[in-house]
Amino acid sequence: MSQPSERIALPAAPRLALVSRQVWLALGIAIVAGSMLPLVVTSTLAITLLTQAVIGGILATAVGLVIRQTGLVSFGHAAFFGLAGYFIALPAKHGLWPLELSIVLAIAMPTLLAFLLGLVIVRIPGVAFSMITLAIGQAFHEFAVRARLVTGGDDGLAINLPRTVFGVATEVFQRPQTMFVICWVALVGLLFGLHLLVRSRFGRVTTAIRENEERARFLGYQTVVPRALIFALSALIGSIAGTLFALYNGFVSPESLHWSLSGSALIMAIVGGTRLLWGPALGAVVFFFFKDVAGDLTEHWPAMIGFMLIVVTVALPTGIGGALTKLFDRIRPAGVRRDG
Amino acid sequence: MLLQILNGLVYGGLLYILAVGLVLIFGLRRVVNFAHGSLFMVGAYVGYAIATYFGNFWVGLLVSVALLAALGVFLDAVVFRPLQREDPIVTVLVTFGILLVLEDAVRTIWGKDFLSLKPPEALAGTVQILGESFPTYRLFVIVLAAAVAIGLSLWLRMSRIGLFVRASSVDRTTTAILGVNTDRVSIIVVAAGAALAGLSGTVSAPLLALSPSMGSFILIDSFIVVVVGGLGSFSGAFFAALIIGQLHNFGVVYVPSAATMIPFLLMVGILIWRPAGFAGQHV
Repeated sequence: MSQPSERIALPAAPRLALVSRQVWLALGIAIVAGSMLPLVVTSTLAITLLTQAVIGGILATAVGLVIRQTGLVSFGHAAFFGLAGYFIALPAKHGLWPLELSIVLAIAMPTLLAFLLGLVIVRIPGVAFSMITLAIGQAFHEFAVRARLVTGGDDGLAINLPRTVFGVATEVFQRPQTMFVICWVALVGLLFGLHLLVRSRFGRVTTAIRENEERARFLGYQTVVPRALIFALSALIGSIAGTLFALYNGFVSPESLHWSLSGSALIMAIVGGTRLLWGPALGAVVFFFFKDVAGDLTEHWPAMIGFMLIVVTVALPTGIGGALTKLFDRIRPAGVRRDG
Repeated sequence: MLLQILNGLVYGGLLYILAVGLVLIFGLRRVVNFAHGSLFMVGAYVGYAIATYFGNFWVGLLVSVALLAALGVFLDAVVFRPLQREDPIVTVLVTFGILLVLEDAVRTIWGKDFLSLKPPEALAGTVQILGESFPTYRLFVIVLAAAVAIGLSLWLRMSRIGLFVRASSVDRTTTAILGVNTDRVSIIVVAAGAALAGLSGTVSAPLLALSPSMGSFILIDSFIVVVVGGLGSFSGAFFAALIIGQLHNFGVVYVPSAATMIPFLLMVGILIWRPAGFAGQHV
C-alpha cells in the first residue's frame, strides 16, 4: 500500500486514543462472561445453538466488515467458509500432512485467493459486485458437488481428526460446552482486532475510499489495493469461521459453500447492523434464535427470515445494533459517542 | 457438433429471455432484481399447474405470462418505486427477501419433489437438421428467443415507450426533466421484465426439472450474462447469453466436473479486461 504522507504533506490527523478504558473493560467482561456461560447454561441444546450462533457470528462479522469498510455487499462469503473446511478435510482424507498445517492453509489460502480476486472485483461498484460475488461463490459450490471423486460430491467428507490438535484434545473442539468458549474468545478477539484496525490509519483510509473513491484517489491514495486487503481480511475471518465449523462438526459438505449460507450471513449482518463492528455478531444470535423459535412454530421459517430481512432493511436501516445504541444514547444523553 | 451448438443455443436463448428482463429493469430503476430467478421459477410452476389442469401447454404459457406481468406491476408499485430514493443495495436486499418468501411459497404449494411437464403435442417430435434429428420443441425455444430478441429491439427502437426506456437507461434524471413520466414507463417495463421471466420459466418447464431451487440456479447464470455483457446493455446481454449458452453446453459435455467454472472464469477474464463488461461504459 502506498504511503501518501511520504510524498504529500498532510495535516496531522487528530490523535485518537487507540483503545479507550471502556473498550478494555468491555473486552474483559466479554471474555470472562462468555467463558462462564457454559457453567450457567446447562441445557446442551441451548449451548449447541449458541455455539452455532457464534460461528455464524464470525462469518457475519466478515460480511459486515466488507460492508462497513468498503460499502460493497458480498453474496459469496460461504466460498471462504466452505473452502476452509475442504482445506482441512482433503489433506486429512489422504493423510498428506499434519492437521495443524491444514488449519494454517485453511485460513491462508482463502485469504490469498480473496486478495487476488479482490484486485479484480472491488473495482466493480455497487450492485454488480453483489452479483459477481454470488456467481463466484456458487461456482465453488457447483465444483464441490460435481467433482465427486475429489470432494465426495453431495455426500461431503468426514474429517479424520487426530487425537490432539495443537496439543489440545480433539474432543475439546467437538463438545459444545468447550467449543463455545473457544469460538466466543475467537469472536471477541477478532472484534477487538477489528476495533484497532478501523481506528488505524489503514482503517481511516478505507473509510475515506468508501465515502468517495474518486476523491480519495485524487488525494493520492491507492484505492484498489486497500479494498482488496479489506476483502482478503474479511475472507480470513470467514475462513476462521469455516475452520472452527469443520473442527466442531468433523464433517464438510457442499452445503457449507452454498449461496444460501452466504445469504444467511448477509442477513445476520444486516439485521444486526453493519455500522457497528459487533452488529453482525448480534444479528447472528438473533438469527439463530429466531430460526429456532420460528422452526418450532412453523415450517415456513425461510419465508419468516425473508420477511425479517425486508422489515429490518426498510424500517431499521442501522439494524438492531444501531437501534440499541440510539436507545442507549438517548437514555444517557451526556455519554461518549461510540464508534464501532 | 451441430446438435451441441443447437443445444447451446437453447440454453443461451432461455438465459437471454431471462437476462434481458434484468437489463430492462436495471435500465429504468438502476437496481438489480434478485428475485428475478424466483419469478422464472414461479412462472415455470404456474405454467406447469395450468397446463396440466387444462391439458394444454399454450393456455399455461399465456396464463403464466399474464400472471407474472401482473406480479411485475405489483413489484414495481410496492418495492421498486417506494425504494427508488434509497441506495440500490436496499432494493437488492428486499428482493433477496422476496426470493426467500417466493421459494418457500412454491415449496409449500407444490412440494420439494422434482416435477416435469411434457412439451405440447404439436412440438413433441423431432426434426431433421442436416441429417441429424433434433427435438422440435428445442427448435421452438431457439426460434422463440430469436423472436423475443427481434421483437424487443423493434419495440425499443420504434415505439414511444421504447424511446423513453432507452433515454432513461442513458440518463434517468434528464429523461424525467424532459417530461417523461418515468414511473409510468417503469410499470410497463417491470411488468415486461417479469412477463419475460414467466415466459422463460414456462418454456423451460419441459426442458428442466421443476424444483423450488431452479430459480437461483439460473439466476446466477443470468447474472453472469448481465455482468459480462455490461449492466444495462441489451446487445451485450444478447451476445453474452449466446456465449455463455455455448460454453455451458460444451462444458457439460466435455468437462462435466468443471462445467460451471468455465462461465465464471470467462467472467473474471472479461472483468480484468473491461471492468464494466464488454458493452458497458459504466456500471
